[in-house]
Amino acid sequence: MNRVITIRQSVMEADEEVARRIRDRMGRDGRLYINIIGSPGSGKTTLLESTIRMAPEFRFAVIEGDIATARDAERIAALGVPSVQINTDGGCHLEAHLVSRALESLPLDTVDILFVENVGNLVCPAEFDIGEDMKVAVSSVPEGADKPLKYPLLFSQAKAVLLTKTDLLPYVPFEMELYQGDLERLNPGVPLLMMEAPSGKGMDAWIALLRMWLKEKRG
Amino acid sequence: MHELSLVEAILESLIPMCSEYGIEGKVKKVHLRIGRMRQVIPDVMRFAYGVATEDTVLRGSVLELSLIPLRLSCPTCGAEWQGDDPIAFLCPKCGEKNVKTHSGMELEIESMEVEQSDESSDNDPAVRHGGR
Ligand SMILES: Nc1nc2c(ncn2[C@@H]2O[C@H](COP(=O)(O)OP(=O)(O)OP(=O)(O)O)[C@@H](O)[C@H]2O)c(=O)[nH]1
Ligand SMILES: [Mg+2]
Ligand SMILES: [Zn+2]
Ligand SMILES: [Zn+2]
Repeated sequence: MNRVITIRQSVMEADEEVARRIRDRMGRDGRLYINIIGSPGSGKTTLLESTIRMAPEFRFAVIEGDIATARDAERIAALGVPSVQINTDGGCHLEAHLVSRALESLPLDTVDILFVENVGNLVCPAEFDIGEDMKVAVSSVPEGADKPLKYPLLFSQAKAVLLTKTDLLPYVPFEMELYQGDLERLNPGVPLLMMEAPSGKGMDAWIALLRMWLKEKRG
Repeated sequence: MHELSLVEAILESLIPMCSEYGIEGKVKKVHLRIGRMRQVIPDVMRFAYGVATEDTVLRGSVLELSLIPLRLSCPTCGAEWQGDDPIAFLCPKCGEKNVKTHSGMELEIESMEVEQSDESSDNDPAVRHGGR
């Protein structure tokens, strides 16, 4: 005869506790903390670069998550913004304890908005709470219009969805109605922003969202 | 491939529990509740568990996964439905956008099944449980 020991606890219990501590701290200080999630090469770092250039009203800090290299953190540092690189060494997503360690080397006192650029991946980063205020999904036109339905967790949880590389719409087949329809069922009413890095189209709407979220955060 | 991270987190909780309860090497089964939204592939998870437990006190135990459907309800019209094929968070009756999620997000260690031995039957740890 076997007996059963009831446990009933979250699998990620320990890391969720770290995430809660990060969230408390950022909440207390009124700093906005955004987790940017999208596939490899979808334009996440480009978005952050443009945001830094075009929104001097905010003081930013950036944590870059990549499997290897410090290239993305260097791109951010080149713009004079404090940045830390986390290398996950094969890990396909960031976890709260990694972010917590990275936070120690950022001058948080002088930050309005903290971005974490998660490891390029539409699946795993959506699973792990890193203490952020919100997840923002980034997907690009050449990846195709079926991404929301194929990666429902991310697209259903995102507080905003950025469709990047819309300058490529004339060249790449992309079923916009399918994308919008699926997104509306997964995440009714979520803001969908069309972004075009070469011309800067979409940046005004994005910066307006940041402004609104920061205001909400500061009550 | 976050299944491996999940397995590592499970071992981080369970291994200390095994020594606390004195059940090292006696665990037969670990039961998880996984919501349909969690993108966990059961075979990948079981395989990762097998590999990760090999040199631990959980060696030889098997992972059992219950997949929990996505259940939703509408606060406006009272409709209740299962929203996972395809996944949608929109009331099918009245189109309400703010629907309530009842299940489908679980990622829980439910229980362990342990080989019963004579000495351990008295101070049965089944009454104890960690977390909530
Ligand atoms: N045409 C076009 N190209 C873009 C746009 N945004 C980014 N790119 C290009 O897409 C490539 C990848 O951009 P990144 O910003 O490095 O993408 P990422 O998501 O940070 O990539 P990883 O961090 O490696 O996952 C670069 O060559 C960018 O110049 C856009 O709006 N239009
Ligand atoms: Mg990048
Ligand atoms: Zn993964
Ligand atoms: Zn309804």
